[in-house]
Amino acid sequence: MDNYVVMIGLEMHCEISETNTKVFSGAKNEYVDVPNSNVSAVDMAFPGVLPVVNKKAVEHALKISMILGCTQPEYMYFERKNYYYPDMPKNYQITQETKPIPVGIYGSLKFDCKGEEKTVRINNIHLEEDAASLDHYETFSTVNYNRAGVPLLELVTEPDIRSADEAVAFLETMRCIYQYAGISEADSRKGQIRCDVNVSIMEKGKDESDPKNWGTKVEVKNVNSFGGVRDAINYEIERQIELKENGTYDEMEQQTRRWDEDTFTTIFMRSKVDAIDYRYFVEPNIPKYKISNEWKESIRASIPKLANERKEIYMNEYGLSEYDSKVIVKDKSISDYYEETLKLGADPKISANWLTSVILGHLNKTETTINELFLTPNMLVDLMNMVSSGKISSKQSKEVMYKVLEEEKEPKVIVKELGVEQISDDKTIRDIVIPLLDEHPDLIEDHKKGKNTFDFFVGQVMKATRGKANPSLTSQIIREEMDKR
Amino acid sequence: MVFTEELVDVLADKLLIGLTREENKMVLEEFESIDSDNKKVCEIDNIENVEPMTHCLDDFVYELRDDEYKGDNEDIDDLLSNCDDYIDTEIKVPKVVK
Amino acid sequence: MEYMSKGIKEIHDDLKSGKVTSEELVNESLKKAHKVQDKCNAFVTIIDDAKGVDVTDSLLSGIPCGIKDNYSTKGILSTGSSNTLKDYIPFFDATAITNLKNNGAVIIGKCTMDEFGMGGTGTTAHTGVQKNPWDLSRMCAGSSSGSAASVASGVYPYATGSDTGDSIRKPAAYCGIVGYKPTYGMISRYGLFAFASSLDHLGCLTRSVEDAAIVVDAMKGIDKKDMTSWDSSNIHLYESLSSDVKGKKLCYIKEICDPGNYPDASEETKQHLDNFYKTIELCKKIGMEVSEVSIDKKLLDALGSVYNIISCAEATSNMSNLTGIIFGPRVNADNYEDMMKKYRTEGFSSLIKRRFIIGSYVLQAQNKDRYFNNAQRVRRLLVDAWKDLYKEYDAVILPVGSGPAKYLDDSKNKKFTNSNILEEHLQIGNFGGFPSITIPNGFINNLPVGVNITGNCYDDINVLNIAYALESEMNYKGQIAKEVK
Repeated sequence: MDNYVVMIGLEMHCEISETNTKVFSGAKNEYVDVPNSNVSAVDMAFPGVLPVVNKKAVEHALKISMILGCTQPEYMYFERKNYYYPDMPKNYQITQETKPIPVGIYGSLKFDCKGEEKTVRINNIHLEEDAASLDHYETFSTVNYNRAGVPLLELVTEPDIRSADEAVAFLETMRCIYQYAGISEADSRKGQIRCDVNVSIMEKGKDESDPKNWGTKVEVKNVNSFGGVRDAINYEIERQIELKENGTYDEMEQQTRRWDEDTFTTIFMRSKVDAIDYRYFVEPNIPKYKISNEWKESIRASIPKLANERKEIYMNEYGLSEYDSKVIVKDKSISDYYEETLKLGADPKISANWLTSVILGHLNKTETTINELFLTPNMLVDLMNMVSSGKISSKQSKEVMYKVLEEEKEPKVIVKELGVEQISDDKTIRDIVIPLLDEHPDLIEDHKKGKNTFDFFVGQVMKATRGKANPSLTSQIIREEMDKR
Repeated sequence: MVFTEELVDVLADKLLIGLTREENKMVLEEFESIDSDNKKVCEIDNIENVEPMTHCLDDFVYELRDDEYKGDNEDIDDLLSNCDDYIDTEIKVPKVVK
Repeated sequence: MEYMSKGIKEIHDDLKSGKVTSEELVNESLKKAHKVQDKCNAFVTIIDDAKGVDVTDSLLSGIPCGIKDNYSTKGILSTGSSNTLKDYIPFFDATAITNLKNNGAVIIGKCTMDEFGMGGTGTTAHTGVQKNPWDLSRMCAGSSSGSAASVASGVYPYATGSDTGDSIRKPAAYCGIVGYKPTYGMISRYGLFAFASSLDHLGCLTRSVEDAAIVVDAMKGIDKKDMTSWDSSNIHLYESLSSDVKGKKLCYIKEICDPGNYPDASEETKQHLDNFYKTIELCKKIGMEVSEVSIDKKLLDALGSVYNIISCAEATSNMSNLTGIIFGPRVNADNYEDMMKKYRTEGFSSLIKRRFIIGSYVLQAQNKDRYFNNAQRVRRLLVDAWKDLYKEYDAVILPVGSGPAKYLDDSKNKKFTNSNILEEHLQIGNFGGFPSITIPNGFINNLPVGVNITGNCYDDINVLNIAYALESEMNYKGQIAKEVK
């Protein structure tokens, strides 16, 4: 391993989930369970249908192009990529190639990998349509066209990534950007993110800027989770090093493999000589479209604050640690949740503390997302207010929180049920203290002589209230009443 | 470019089309004439500097579609009405091996 | 009283005044349709249960018509004259059909055509060879062969057609009627089975220029389902008809029309060209200026090649949706590739298969620039040459084809030098999207011949008026084919 440099390039596909309709048809773009329920004639390529480009999908594509510092074209074109597969009803995919240029070319992304800043150059990003999904049974397969025509963004990086960790960090950063920019939920469990990974190795010490030294490119197709990306890359690195070590690397052809989730291996699909000729040509049904400067400017102005900007605010304005800030912004829904509590008046530090110390741990443990969490920002703020008003102690609040998460009941209900509500009412406590002092004039005298009988009275009040009396208020009232005597 | 029977068969196969020997022969003849016609095209002065005409109307001005759902989802029954082989609401195909 | 031999306006007036009912027209039309079917094989489907409809102010209301079988018609078999779609019953109407229905049109039948519009002879339909009603040993030309034959035989006053190279305008000439394709995008292509998307036009076949204007008025209109359609609501073809063409400037092209270019041409061709020059004299007589112009012969010689390459390339992609999976008769096989291959091998005629292979070849990565891109480049040069003409002239006037209808038995057709230019020049109207109309201008050997007028994009009114004025100076308006009569 130490003798080699690994060259990794990624092709990241991300469905745009934030449109109402598909990219070339007016059918709904929505994740549903019933097969073939979000399908128009266009999505199933009935004779005579035509594509009609969704403006919002183009807007999202231009937005991500700008975020990645890419160049946008003056005119937008689409192309046909022709090949036969049962998940593609037209047997061609409407996509964009590099000439005429797609919605974005030549950008770059800085990202953090274990505390180190890395940069990946973006070769291009293009807008295309997703294919239908296939289900496989014992003796046949079925086709569901709900996904056919869902807008898809494909981002192609240069081979600037050097390890599986970097690849995953890059993908996590991109996912985050898609979420923050309001383009996609980018949820790989819904199949919204899929990757192809290009891996090659070269001997250390050679000139990395010369493609001739990069070794033989192996493309691994259809990696559908970040974990899969990590495993596929590491598998390929090991496999290729082994070929080097046993002297057969030079026999290996440039090839396409696929990641097999069952065996955790990559499996040979085809070599470069059998590469499919996609016979691209410009889609004649979509006239070239002039992207006006005004439109570009309004899209640029609409780009919301992304994770990094929010992180800066958390650190500089709210005084959170860098670590906590990072943890919160890593997932937009968590950051949104956090900001919602602030809007409801929460103290930034306390709210952040709840998130990082309890809530995120709970989500991890239960493998759920914050959107599925029973505890709403409102409830969290309620709980924080109970502590700050002295209604419950900070120690009790933790117990309440765990119960809320476990039993899915509102904090105020749990507080009632646990009976942890403190007695912070002056008169209630004073009504206990006065008769108590009346009963023990001797101990008051002892107290005045300097003997410690104070704790005894506090203990008695706690006993009488079964521990619910607010301790500091109790001490204060006892002191006041003693001084009167 | 030398056109051969094998080349024609490879091309046909990629299009999921089978040809008879006779059809293959006809394609070969047609290729010869396409190629000689194409020579004339390539000889046109300055041809390489012309921008390919990809659409029928140049500089056509139009609007992209607004992203509003207007009831374009079709009934499953309609979508499947011409399909000879489906199960529940999904279209059946021979098992697709990756 | 025969109504179906009359013009639309006359029929409409009699419907309005109650002299005849829509139901009676439908019965007459159906009777004739069967007669023509027996002799010429003009229909894929005759709709025997067609019903008359209420008569409104719309000129087409209650009047029967024919529809080319590559128009998607809801609930009516739509085969494109191909075995691949021999049982296909669409669940939606083409936009042009919706527009016609909204105008009260009554569909009597679906007309045969060359399979999916490819061919140009009218002989490749899956239902058999189409014969010319003027002479059953001759062809109608194609691809709108059934539409032309049925209109020429007086089944109804109009039928729809489609035109990718000359598929409306040549059959019209061979059948002695009017064939008009308006500017690209004036009529929506949604629901027309695609042949070559950048060349496909819709239009109609009628027995007068006036009827052509009425029918296209009803078919046209911007369509949200076709991005290449445009708003023509300010264009009223029928209302704009005027035979005042004094001062209009026409031109014809020496390299196409000069008999000297065709030293070994047949007697029919010579007469056809003679007849064309008579028409030119007629144009002058009614006050138009006509000039002879020259176009680079190299460009004209490339015409056929450009058309073949572009149309075959687009066709092979457009028709890759025909696999039998979603529609079309399902073929059984062990794997999907064999299934699709068997369906396509059995379903397509030999001619189409050959064209697909050519289309695929010219798009392959190593061939694309030389063949496909160069064809698109010459397309631009030809269109630019015509646009230059339109700077000076209102329209280009040219003879249609090399004479009257050819024999079905090809060995009887005389081959001669340069005949391809005469046969192919109408394709320029498709390259540039130009409005183009063919009208009958005489008889040779008792068979009709035609002349074509093609103008600049969006200048349909001008083109129709020139044709309208010329038509009124000749005796061929409204003629019905003798053989069937």
